[in-house]
Amino acid sequence: MGAISKARSQAADAGKFVADWMEHRAGVITIMEHFLYEPVPKRGAWIYTLGSATLFLITLQFLTGILLLFYYVPTTDHAWNSIYYIMNEAYFGTLIRGIHYWSANFLLAVIGLHMAQVFFSGGYKAPRELNWIVGVVLLLLVVIIAFTGYALRWDQDGLWATVVGMKIGSYSPFVGAYTIQFLMGGDTIGPATLSRFFAIHVWLLPAALAPFIGIHLYLLRRHGVFGDEMEYRERMAKLQERQRLEEYEEYEDDGEPYVGRRDRADRD
Amino acid sequence: MAELQKDPMTRGDFLGFGVLGTIVGALLTIPPAAFILGPVIDVNVRGESDVPDDWFRAGHVSEVPPDEPKAFVVAFPLNQVYSERQVIEEGVDTQEQTLRNAIWTSWKDLKPPGFIAELGQNRTPGISREQVIEAQGALNVLSSSCAHLGCPVRWLVKEDGGEFLCPCHGGIYDINGAYVGGPPPRGMYRYTYEVREDGYIYVKHEFDVGGDKGSQKPFVI
Ligand code: HEM
Ligand code: FES
Repeated sequence: MGAISKARSQAADAGKFVADWMEHRAGVITIMEHFLYEPVPKRGAWIYTLGSATLFLITLQFLTGILLLFYYVPTTDHAWNSIYYIMNEAYFGTLIRGIHYWSANFLLAVIGLHMAQVFFSGGYKAPRELNWIVGVVLLLLVVIIAFTGYALRWDQDGLWATVVGMKIGSYSPFVGAYTIQFLMGGDTIGPATLSRFFAIHVWLLPAALAPFIGIHLYLLRRHGVFGDEMEYRERMAKLQERQRLEEYEEYEDDGEPYVGRRDRADRD
Repeated sequence: MAELQKDPMTRGDFLGFGVLGTIVGALLTIPPAAFILGPVIDVNVRGESDVPDDWFRAGHVSEVPPDEPKAFVVAFPLNQVYSERQVIEEGVDTQEQTLRNAIWTSWKDLKPPGFIAELGQNRTPGISREQVIEAQGALNVLSSSCAHLGCPVRWLVKEDGGEFLCPCHGGIYDINGAYVGGPPPRGMYRYTYEVREDGYIYVKHEFDVGGDKGSQKPFVI
Protein backbone atom coordinates (compact mmCIF):
# COMPACT_ATOMS: atom_id res chain seq x y z
CA MET A 1 0.00 0.00 0.00
CA GLY A 2 1.37 3.43 -0.93
CA ALA A 3 2.14 5.92 1.81
CA ILE A 4 -0.47 8.35 0.58
CA SER A 5 -3.35 5.91 0.50
CA LYS A 6 -2.26 4.61 3.90
CA ALA A 7 -2.37 8.09 5.36
CA ARG A 8 -5.70 8.61 3.73
CA SER A 9 -7.27 5.52 5.23
CA GLN A 10 -5.76 6.35 8.62
CA ALA A 11 -7.28 9.82 8.46
CA ALA A 12 -10.64 8.33 7.52
CA ASP A 13 -10.44 5.92 10.45
CA ALA A 14 -9.50 8.73 12.82
CA GLY A 15 -12.37 10.80 11.48
CA LYS A 16 -14.79 7.95 11.99
CA PHE A 17 -13.47 7.39 15.48
CA VAL A 18 -13.97 11.04 16.44
CA ALA A 19 -17.44 11.08 14.93
CA ASP A 20 -18.43 7.89 16.77
CA TRP A 21 -16.93 9.15 19.99
CA MET A 22 -18.93 12.38 19.76
CA GLU A 23 -22.08 10.57 18.71
CA HIS A 24 -21.96 8.26 21.70
CA ARG A 25 -21.34 11.00 24.20
CA ALA A 26 -23.29 13.94 22.78
CA GLY A 27 -25.48 12.45 20.07
CA VAL A 28 -23.94 14.93 17.65
CA ILE A 29 -24.68 13.02 14.47
CA THR A 30 -28.29 12.48 15.46
CA ILE A 31 -28.68 16.16 16.23
CA MET A 32 -27.05 17.16 12.96
CA GLU A 33 -29.35 14.87 11.00
CA HIS A 34 -32.27 16.20 12.92
CA PHE A 35 -31.37 19.80 12.17
CA LEU A 36 -30.00 19.54 8.67
CA TYR A 37 -32.24 17.04 6.91
CA GLU A 38 -35.65 18.20 6.02
CA PRO A 39 -37.92 16.76 3.42
CA VAL A 40 -39.11 19.55 1.17
CA PRO A 41 -41.70 19.43 -1.59
CA LYS A 42 -40.13 18.41 -4.86
CA ARG A 43 -41.57 21.20 -6.93
CA GLY A 44 -39.94 24.62 -6.48
CA ALA A 45 -37.52 23.39 -3.85
CA TRP A 46 -35.28 26.43 -4.37
CA ILE A 47 -37.91 28.71 -3.00
CA TYR A 48 -37.57 26.94 0.34
CA THR A 49 -34.04 28.32 0.70
CA LEU A 50 -35.32 31.87 1.33
CA GLY A 51 -35.58 31.25 5.07
CA SER A 52 -32.05 29.90 5.18
CA ALA A 53 -30.90 32.89 3.11
CA THR A 54 -32.43 35.18 5.74
CA LEU A 55 -30.67 33.30 8.52
CA PHE A 56 -27.40 33.47 6.60
CA LEU A 57 -27.66 37.24 6.16
CA ILE A 58 -28.54 37.79 9.82
CA THR A 59 -25.48 35.73 10.77
CA LEU A 60 -23.41 37.91 8.45
CA GLN A 61 -24.81 41.01 10.19
CA PHE A 62 -23.79 39.65 13.58
CA LEU A 63 -20.29 38.76 12.41
CA THR A 64 -19.55 41.98 10.52
CA GLY A 65 -21.27 44.04 13.24
CA ILE A 66 -18.99 42.60 15.89
CA LEU A 67 -15.98 43.37 13.68
CA LEU A 68 -17.13 46.98 13.16
CA LEU A 69 -17.27 47.40 16.92
CA PHE A 70 -13.49 47.07 17.08
CA TYR A 71 -13.18 50.56 15.58
CA TYR A 72 -16.59 52.22 15.78
CA VAL A 73 -16.96 54.87 18.52
CA PRO A 74 -20.54 55.74 19.50
CA THR A 75 -20.16 59.42 20.42
CA THR A 76 -21.31 62.43 18.42
CA ASP A 77 -17.80 63.81 18.10
CA HIS A 78 -16.15 60.57 17.01
CA ALA A 79 -18.73 58.38 15.29
CA TRP A 80 -18.17 59.85 11.83
CA ASN A 81 -14.38 59.92 12.23
CA SER A 82 -14.28 56.30 13.36
CA ILE A 83 -16.25 55.20 10.30
CA TYR A 84 -13.90 57.32 8.20
CA TYR A 85 -11.07 55.32 9.75
CA ILE A 86 -12.85 52.03 8.99
CA MET A 87 -13.33 53.10 5.37
CA ASN A 88 -9.86 54.51 4.73
CA GLU A 89 -7.33 53.04 7.12
CA ALA A 90 -8.52 49.71 8.53
CA TYR A 91 -7.51 46.64 6.50
CA PHE A 92 -10.53 45.44 4.51
CA GLY A 93 -12.60 48.09 6.32
CA THR A 94 -14.50 48.94 3.15
CA LEU A 95 -15.30 45.26 2.70
CA ILE A 96 -16.48 44.65 6.27
CA ARG A 97 -18.63 47.76 6.40
CA GLY A 98 -19.81 47.16 2.85
CA ILE A 99 -20.99 43.68 3.77
CA HIS A 100 -22.78 45.01 6.86
CA TYR A 101 -24.45 47.71 4.76
CA TRP A 102 -25.44 45.61 1.74
CA SER A 103 -26.38 42.56 3.73
CA ALA A 104 -28.72 44.75 5.80
CA ASN A 105 -30.39 45.95 2.61
CA PHE A 106 -30.64 42.49 1.05
CA LEU A 107 -31.82 41.09 4.38
CA LEU A 108 -34.98 43.20 4.28
CA ALA A 109 -35.62 42.23 0.66
CA VAL A 110 -35.05 38.53 1.35
CA ILE A 111 -37.29 38.61 4.42
CA GLY A 112 -39.99 40.12 2.21
CA LEU A 113 -39.57 37.32 -0.34
CA HIS A 114 -39.53 34.69 2.40
CA MET A 115 -42.78 36.06 3.81
CA ALA A 116 -44.32 36.19 0.35
CA GLN A 117 -43.38 32.56 -0.22
CA VAL A 118 -44.96 31.48 3.06
CA PHE A 119 -48.02 33.57 2.34
CA PHE A 120 -48.65 32.36 -1.20
CA SER A 121 -47.96 28.72 -0.38
CA GLY A 122 -50.37 28.93 2.57
CA GLY A 123 -47.58 27.97 4.96
CA TYR A 124 -49.05 30.13 7.71
CA LYS A 125 -52.08 27.88 8.15
CA ALA A 126 -52.68 25.49 11.04
CA PRO A 127 -50.67 24.17 12.77
CA ARG A 128 -48.05 26.76 11.76
CA GLU A 129 -49.82 30.00 12.79
CA LEU A 130 -47.53 30.54 15.73
CA ASN A 131 -44.50 30.47 13.48
CA TRP A 132 -46.03 33.21 11.35
CA ILE A 133 -46.51 35.29 14.49
CA VAL A 134 -42.92 34.69 15.60
CA GLY A 135 -41.86 35.61 12.07
CA VAL A 136 -43.68 38.93 12.30
CA VAL A 137 -41.89 39.66 15.59
CA LEU A 138 -38.59 38.87 13.87
CA LEU A 139 -39.48 41.19 10.99
CA LEU A 140 -40.27 44.07 13.36
CA LEU A 141 -37.05 43.49 15.30
CA VAL A 142 -34.98 43.51 12.10
CA VAL A 143 -36.70 46.67 10.85
CA ILE A 144 -35.95 48.48 14.11
CA ILE A 145 -32.36 47.20 14.09
CA ALA A 146 -31.93 48.50 10.55
CA PHE A 147 -33.44 51.87 11.52
CA THR A 148 -31.21 52.29 14.57
CA GLY A 149 -28.13 51.11 12.62
CA TYR A 150 -28.52 53.79 9.98
CA ALA A 151 -28.29 56.52 12.63
CA LEU A 152 -24.93 55.20 13.80
CA ARG A 153 -23.22 56.64 10.71
CA TRP A 154 -23.97 60.09 12.15
CA ASP A 155 -23.53 61.77 8.78
CA GLN A 156 -26.09 63.95 6.98
CA ASP A 157 -27.78 60.90 5.44
CA GLY A 158 -28.06 58.98 8.68
CA LEU A 159 -29.09 62.01 10.72
CA TRP A 160 -31.93 63.21 8.49
CA ALA A 161 -33.20 59.71 7.84
CA THR A 162 -33.38 59.34 11.61
CA VAL A 163 -35.15 62.68 12.04
CA VAL A 164 -37.73 61.75 9.41
CA GLY A 165 -38.16 58.24 10.86
CA MET A 166 -38.73 59.61 14.34
CA LYS A 167 -41.18 62.24 13.11
CA ILE A 168 -43.14 59.49 11.37
CA GLY A 169 -43.16 57.49 14.62
CA SER A 170 -44.21 60.55 16.61
CA TYR A 171 -47.56 60.57 14.80
CA SER A 172 -48.57 57.23 16.35
CA PRO A 173 -51.59 57.80 18.56
CA PHE A 174 -51.02 58.12 22.33
CA VAL A 175 -47.57 56.52 22.54
CA GLY A 176 -45.89 58.31 19.61
CA ALA A 177 -44.39 61.25 21.48
CA TYR A 178 -43.21 59.16 24.44
CA THR A 179 -41.62 56.53 22.22
CA ILE A 180 -39.69 59.18 20.37
CA GLN A 181 -38.55 60.89 23.57
CA PHE A 182 -37.45 57.49 24.82
CA LEU A 183 -35.44 56.91 21.66
CA MET A 184 -33.97 60.43 21.60
CA GLY A 185 -33.15 60.44 25.29
CA GLY A 186 -34.75 63.86 25.70
CA ASP A 187 -36.82 66.29 23.67
CA THR A 188 -34.28 66.87 20.89
CA ILE A 189 -31.92 64.74 18.87
CA GLY A 190 -28.43 64.86 20.34
CA PRO A 191 -25.63 62.90 22.00
CA ALA A 192 -28.10 60.87 24.05
CA THR A 193 -29.81 59.77 20.84
CA LEU A 194 -26.64 58.24 19.44
CA SER A 195 -25.84 56.43 22.69
CA ARG A 196 -29.32 54.96 22.86
CA PHE A 197 -29.48 53.96 19.23
CA PHE A 198 -26.12 52.28 19.73
CA ALA A 199 -27.30 50.36 22.80
CA ILE A 200 -30.43 49.28 20.98
CA HIS A 201 -28.67 48.39 17.73
CA VAL A 202 -25.83 46.30 19.08
CA TRP A 203 -27.16 44.93 22.36
CA LEU A 204 -30.84 45.11 23.12
CA LEU A 205 -32.38 43.98 19.87
CA PRO A 206 -29.73 41.50 18.67
CA ALA A 207 -30.10 39.86 22.08
CA ALA A 208 -33.87 39.79 21.62
CA LEU A 209 -33.52 38.53 18.06
CA ALA A 210 -31.54 35.42 18.99
CA PRO A 211 -34.17 33.61 21.10
CA PHE A 212 -36.90 34.40 18.59
CA ILE A 213 -34.79 32.88 15.82
CA GLY A 214 -34.44 29.84 18.07
CA ILE A 215 -38.20 29.56 18.55
CA HIS A 216 -38.75 30.08 14.82
CA LEU A 217 -36.43 27.19 13.96
CA TYR A 218 -37.81 24.95 16.68
CA LEU A 219 -41.36 25.43 15.43
CA LEU A 220 -40.19 24.91 11.87
CA ARG A 221 -38.65 21.54 12.78
CA ARG A 222 -41.68 20.57 14.79
CA HIS A 223 -44.07 20.91 11.88
CA GLY A 224 -41.79 20.73 8.86
CA VAL A 225 -42.04 23.06 5.91
CA PHE A 226 -45.38 23.28 4.29
CA GLY A 227 -45.74 22.00 0.77
CA ASP A 228 -47.84 19.94 -1.55
CA GLU A 229 -49.45 17.42 0.82
CA MET A 230 -49.33 14.51 -1.64
CA GLU A 231 -45.68 14.92 -2.50
CA TYR A 232 -44.91 15.56 1.09
CA ARG A 233 -46.52 12.40 2.38
CA GLU A 234 -44.93 10.38 -0.36
CA ARG A 235 -41.45 11.58 0.48
CA MET A 236 -42.01 11.13 4.19
CA ALA A 237 -43.11 7.56 3.60
CA LYS A 238 -39.99 6.87 1.52
CA LEU A 239 -37.75 8.43 4.14
CA GLN A 240 -39.30 6.40 6.95
CA GLU A 241 -39.03 3.26 4.89
CA ARG A 242 -35.32 3.90 4.29
CA GLN A 243 -34.73 4.56 7.98
CA ARG A 244 -36.45 1.34 8.90
CA LEU A 245 -34.28 -0.61 6.48
CA GLU A 246 -31.12 1.00 7.80
CA GLU A 247 -32.00 0.14 11.36
CA TYR A 248 -32.76 -3.40 10.40
CA GLU A 249 -29.37 -3.70 8.72
CA GLU A 250 -27.64 -2.33 11.76
CA TYR A 251 -29.46 -4.80 13.96
CA GLU A 252 -28.37 -7.65 11.73
CA ASP A 253 -24.77 -6.41 11.59
CA ASP A 254 -23.80 -6.49 15.22
CA GLY A 255 -26.39 -8.92 16.48
CA GLU A 256 -27.27 -6.66 19.37
CA PRO A 257 -30.66 -5.24 20.16
CA TYR A 258 -30.85 -1.83 18.57
CA VAL A 259 -31.41 1.07 20.94
CA GLY A 260 -30.39 3.93 18.73
CA ARG A 261 -31.97 6.53 16.67
CA ARG A 262 -35.31 4.88 16.20
CA ASP A 263 -36.04 5.02 19.92
CA ARG A 264 -35.13 8.63 20.17
CA ALA A 265 -37.08 9.54 17.08
CA ASP A 266 -40.10 7.81 18.57
CA ARG A 267 -39.90 9.85 21.67
CA ASP A 268 -40.00 13.22 19.96
CA MET B 1 -50.72 21.41 36.24
CA ALA B 2 -52.54 18.33 37.40
CA GLU B 3 -49.64 17.50 39.67
CA LEU B 4 -49.70 20.95 41.21
CA GLN B 5 -53.41 20.80 41.86
CA LYS B 6 -53.09 17.70 44.01
CA ASP B 7 -51.42 19.89 46.57
CA PRO B 8 -53.53 23.02 46.35
CA MET B 9 -52.29 26.39 47.45
CA THR B 10 -53.85 27.72 50.62
CA ARG B 11 -55.33 31.17 50.72
CA GLY B 12 -52.42 32.27 52.86
CA ASP B 13 -49.90 30.88 50.39
CA PHE B 14 -51.63 32.69 47.59
CA LEU B 15 -51.63 36.03 49.40
CA GLY B 16 -48.07 35.51 50.52
CA PHE B 17 -46.89 34.83 47.00
CA GLY B 18 -48.95 37.74 45.74
CA VAL B 19 -47.54 40.24 48.21
CA LEU B 20 -43.99 38.96 48.01
CA GLY B 21 -44.23 38.71 44.27
CA THR B 22 -45.37 42.31 43.97
CA ILE B 23 -42.62 43.60 46.23
CA VAL B 24 -39.85 41.60 44.58
CA GLY B 25 -41.25 42.39 41.15
CA ALA B 26 -41.28 46.12 41.92
CA LEU B 27 -37.76 45.99 43.35
CA LEU B 28 -36.53 44.29 40.21
CA THR B 29 -38.34 46.35 37.58
CA ILE B 30 -38.54 49.91 38.88
CA PRO B 31 -34.82 50.75 38.89
CA PRO B 32 -34.04 49.54 35.37
CA ALA B 33 -37.29 50.97 33.98
CA ALA B 34 -36.68 54.39 35.56
CA PHE B 35 -33.05 54.20 34.43
CA ILE B 36 -33.91 54.00 30.75
CA LEU B 37 -37.13 56.04 30.91
CA GLY B 38 -35.36 58.91 32.73
CA PRO B 39 -35.42 61.38 29.84
CA VAL B 40 -39.13 60.76 29.20
CA ILE B 41 -39.85 61.48 32.88
CA ASP B 42 -37.67 64.61 32.77
CA VAL B 43 -39.50 65.98 29.74
CA ASN B 44 -43.08 65.07 30.62
CA VAL B 45 -43.23 65.06 34.40
CA ARG B 46 -40.60 67.61 35.33
CA GLY B 47 -41.14 69.73 32.22
CA GLU B 48 -37.45 69.96 31.43
CA SER B 49 -35.92 70.57 28.04
CA ASP B 50 -32.49 69.70 26.69
CA VAL B 51 -32.11 73.22 25.30
CA PRO B 52 -32.02 76.12 27.83
CA ASP B 53 -34.97 78.52 27.72
CA ASP B 54 -32.78 81.52 26.77
CA TRP B 55 -32.43 83.95 23.90
CA PHE B 56 -29.71 83.17 21.37
CA ARG B 57 -28.31 85.56 18.79
CA ALA B 58 -29.01 84.74 15.15
CA GLY B 59 -27.88 87.52 12.80
CA HIS B 60 -28.05 91.26 12.19
CA VAL B 61 -31.08 92.73 10.44
CA SER B 62 -28.79 94.38 7.89
CA GLU B 63 -27.67 90.92 6.75
CA VAL B 64 -31.16 89.96 5.63
CA PRO B 65 -31.20 90.83 1.90
CA PRO B 66 -34.17 92.62 0.33
CA ASP B 67 -34.75 90.10 -2.46
CA GLU B 68 -34.25 86.63 -0.97
CA PRO B 69 -34.16 84.83 2.39
CA LYS B 70 -31.00 84.37 4.40
CA ALA B 71 -30.14 81.37 6.58
CA PHE B 72 -28.48 81.88 9.96
CA VAL B 73 -27.15 78.89 11.85
CA VAL B 74 -27.79 79.06 15.57
CA ALA B 75 -25.95 76.55 17.74
CA PHE B 76 -28.23 76.02 20.73
CA PRO B 77 -26.34 74.54 23.68
CA LEU B 78 -27.47 71.01 24.45
CA ASN B 79 -27.85 69.52 27.90
CA GLN B 80 -27.72 65.78 27.22
CA VAL B 81 -25.56 62.99 28.74
CA TYR B 82 -21.95 63.94 28.22
CA SER B 83 -22.87 67.50 27.36
CA GLU B 84 -24.31 68.22 30.84
CA ARG B 85 -23.71 71.93 31.47
CA GLN B 86 -21.92 71.35 34.75
CA VAL B 87 -19.31 69.13 33.11
CA ILE B 88 -18.61 71.82 30.52
CA GLU B 89 -18.62 74.70 33.02
CA GLU B 90 -16.17 73.04 35.35
CA GLY B 91 -13.87 72.49 32.41
CA VAL B 92 -13.80 68.71 32.75
CA ASP B 93 -14.79 68.44 29.12
CA THR B 94 -14.27 71.49 26.96
CA GLN B 95 -16.24 70.32 23.99
CA GLU B 96 -19.67 71.83 24.15
CA GLN B 97 -22.42 69.86 22.40
CA THR B 98 -24.82 71.95 20.37
CA LEU B 99 -27.98 71.54 18.41
CA ARG B 100 -27.43 73.46 15.19
CA ASN B 101 -30.62 74.85 13.69
CA ALA B 102 -30.62 76.63 10.36
CA ILE B 103 -33.01 79.56 10.61
CA TRP B 104 -34.45 81.15 7.47
CA THR B 105 -35.03 84.87 7.79
CA SER B 106 -36.63 87.11 5.20
CA TRP B 107 -38.64 90.30 4.92
CA LYS B 108 -42.37 89.73 4.71
CA ASP B 109 -43.38 89.77 1.02
CA LEU B 110 -39.79 90.89 0.35
CA LYS B 111 -40.59 94.41 1.60
CA PRO B 112 -37.80 95.51 3.95
CA PRO B 113 -38.37 98.60 6.11
CA GLY B 114 -36.93 101.73 4.55
CA PHE B 115 -34.08 102.14 7.03
CA ILE B 116 -32.53 98.78 6.13
CA ALA B 117 -31.15 100.07 2.82
CA GLU B 118 -29.47 102.92 4.68
CA LEU B 119 -27.77 100.56 7.13
CA GLY B 120 -25.86 98.89 4.31
CA GLN B 121 -24.06 95.66 4.98
CA ASN B 122 -21.89 96.99 7.80
CA ARG B 123 -23.82 95.77 10.86
CA THR B 124 -24.03 99.25 12.37
CA PRO B 125 -23.80 99.02 16.11
CA GLY B 126 -27.38 99.92 16.85
CA ILE B 127 -30.82 100.88 15.64
CA SER B 128 -33.44 103.05 17.27
CA ARG B 129 -36.49 101.88 19.24
CA GLU B 130 -38.82 102.72 16.36
CA GLN B 131 -36.64 100.82 13.93
CA VAL B 132 -36.68 97.82 16.28
CA ILE B 133 -40.47 97.75 16.23
CA GLU B 134 -40.56 98.27 12.48
CA ALA B 135 -38.05 95.45 11.82
CA GLN B 136 -39.78 93.14 14.29
CA GLY B 137 -43.05 93.48 12.39
CA ALA B 138 -41.51 93.02 8.95
CA LEU B 139 -39.48 89.86 9.59
CA ASN B 140 -40.11 86.19 8.91
CA VAL B 141 -38.03 83.96 11.21
CA LEU B 142 -38.68 80.45 9.98
CA SER B 143 -37.53 77.00 10.94
CA SER B 144 -35.69 75.23 8.13
CA SER B 145 -37.09 71.96 9.44
CA CYS B 146 -39.98 71.05 7.13
CA ALA B 147 -43.44 71.02 8.73
CA HIS B 148 -44.00 67.61 7.16
CA LEU B 149 -41.31 65.30 8.56
CA GLY B 150 -38.47 67.64 9.42
CA CYS B 151 -36.07 67.65 6.48
CA PRO B 152 -34.13 70.90 5.95
CA VAL B 153 -35.80 73.06 3.29
CA ARG B 154 -33.82 75.10 0.76
CA TRP B 155 -34.54 78.31 -1.09
CA LEU B 156 -34.97 77.70 -4.76
CA VAL B 157 -34.50 80.72 -7.03
CA LYS B 158 -36.96 80.85 -9.90
CA GLU B 159 -37.72 83.39 -12.63
CA ASP B 160 -40.73 84.85 -10.86
CA GLY B 161 -39.08 84.99 -7.45
CA GLY B 162 -38.56 81.71 -5.68
CA GLU B 163 -39.87 79.21 -3.16
CA PHE B 164 -38.76 77.04 -0.27
CA LEU B 165 -38.47 73.46 -1.48
CA CYS B 166 -38.12 70.41 0.75
CA PRO B 167 -35.74 67.78 -0.67
CA CYS B 168 -37.49 64.85 0.99
CA HIS B 169 -41.00 64.77 -0.42
CA GLY B 170 -41.27 68.01 -2.33
CA GLY B 171 -43.07 70.26 0.15
CA ILE B 172 -43.23 73.86 -1.16
CA TYR B 173 -43.62 77.13 0.80
CA ASP B 174 -43.57 80.77 -0.27
CA ILE B 175 -41.23 83.53 0.92
CA ASN B 176 -43.29 84.00 4.12
CA GLY B 177 -43.22 80.28 4.86
CA ALA B 178 -46.88 79.84 3.92
CA TYR B 179 -47.92 76.47 2.54
CA VAL B 180 -47.95 76.24 -1.25
CA GLY B 181 -47.93 72.55 -2.13
CA GLY B 182 -46.86 69.02 -1.31
CA PRO B 183 -47.39 66.86 1.76
CA PRO B 184 -46.79 69.34 4.63
CA PRO B 185 -49.98 69.85 6.67
CA ARG B 186 -49.22 73.54 7.37
CA GLY B 187 -46.78 76.37 6.68
CA MET B 188 -43.22 76.51 8.02
CA TYR B 189 -42.85 76.86 11.78
CA ARG B 190 -41.88 80.34 13.05
CA TYR B 191 -39.44 80.84 15.88
CA THR B 192 -40.20 82.98 18.91
CA TYR B 193 -37.88 85.90 18.13
CA GLU B 194 -37.15 89.50 18.96
CA VAL B 195 -35.07 92.27 17.45
CA ARG B 196 -32.99 94.28 19.92
CA GLU B 197 -31.44 97.71 19.78
CA ASP B 198 -28.06 96.27 18.84
CA GLY B 199 -29.76 95.39 15.54
CA TYR B 200 -29.53 91.63 16.06
CA ILE B 201 -32.29 89.05 15.81
CA TYR B 202 -32.58 86.84 18.91
CA VAL B 203 -34.39 83.51 18.95
CA LYS B 204 -35.52 80.93 21.47
CA HIS B 205 -35.54 77.21 20.72
CA GLU B 206 -39.29 77.44 20.56
CA PHE B 207 -41.96 77.94 17.92
CA ASP B 208 -44.55 80.68 17.98
CA VAL B 209 -47.67 78.80 16.91
CA GLY B 210 -49.66 82.03 16.79
CA GLY B 211 -53.00 83.11 18.20
CA ASP B 212 -53.95 81.84 21.64
CA LYS B 213 -51.92 78.66 21.22
CA GLY B 214 -48.79 80.47 22.38
CA SER B 215 -45.50 78.66 21.95
CA GLN B 216 -44.53 75.10 21.32
CA LYS B 217 -41.27 73.17 21.68
CA PRO B 218 -39.75 72.03 18.40
CA PHE B 219 -39.94 68.29 18.06
CA VAL B 220 -36.83 66.18 17.38
CA ILE B 221 -34.56 68.84 15.91
C1 HEM C 1 -30.41 42.09 11.88
C2 HEM C 1 -29.27 42.54 12.15
C3 HEM C 1 -28.68 43.89 11.74
C4 HEM C 1 -29.08 44.80 10.79
C5 HEM C 1 -30.29 44.73 9.87
C6 HEM C 1 -28.13 45.90 10.83
C7 HEM C 1 -28.19 47.05 10.03
C8 HEM C 1 -27.29 48.09 10.05
C9 HEM C 1 -27.32 49.22 9.18
C10 HEM C 1 -28.35 49.48 8.08
C11 HEM C 1 -26.26 50.02 9.51
C12 HEM C 1 -25.84 51.30 8.81
C13 HEM C 1 -24.69 50.92 7.89
C14 HEM C 1 -24.22 52.06 7.07
O1 HEM C 1 -25.06 52.84 6.65
O2 HEM C 1 -23.02 52.15 6.86
C15 HEM C 1 -25.57 49.41 10.60
C16 HEM C 1 -24.45 49.93 11.22
C17 HEM C 1 -23.79 49.35 12.28
N1 HEM C 1 -24.09 48.13 12.86
FE1 HEM C 1 -25.61 46.88 12.32
N2 HEM C 1 -27.19 45.65 11.79
C18 HEM C 1 -27.48 44.43 12.37
C19 HEM C 1 -26.80 43.81 13.39
C20 HEM C 1 -25.70 44.34 14.05
C21 HEM C 1 -25.04 43.72 15.18
C22 HEM C 1 -25.45 42.40 15.80
C23 HEM C 1 -24.01 44.56 15.53
C24 HEM C 1 -22.99 44.43 16.63
C25 HEM C 1 -22.92 43.50 17.52
C26 HEM C 1 -24.02 45.70 14.64
C27 HEM C 1 -23.13 46.77 14.68
C28 HEM C 1 -23.17 47.88 13.86
C29 HEM C 1 -22.25 48.99 13.94
C30 HEM C 1 -21.09 49.14 14.93
C31 HEM C 1 -22.64 49.91 12.95
C32 HEM C 1 -22.00 51.27 12.66
C33 HEM C 1 -20.97 51.21 11.57
C34 HEM C 1 -21.52 51.62 10.23
O3 HEM C 1 -22.44 52.43 10.17
O4 HEM C 1 -21.01 51.11 9.24
N3 HEM C 1 -25.07 45.55 13.75
N4 HEM C 1 -26.22 48.24 10.92
S1 FES D 1 -40.17 66.32 5.07
FE1 FES D 1 -40.50 68.01 3.80
S2 FES D 1 -41.96 67.28 2.41
FE2 FES D 1 -41.68 65.56 3.74
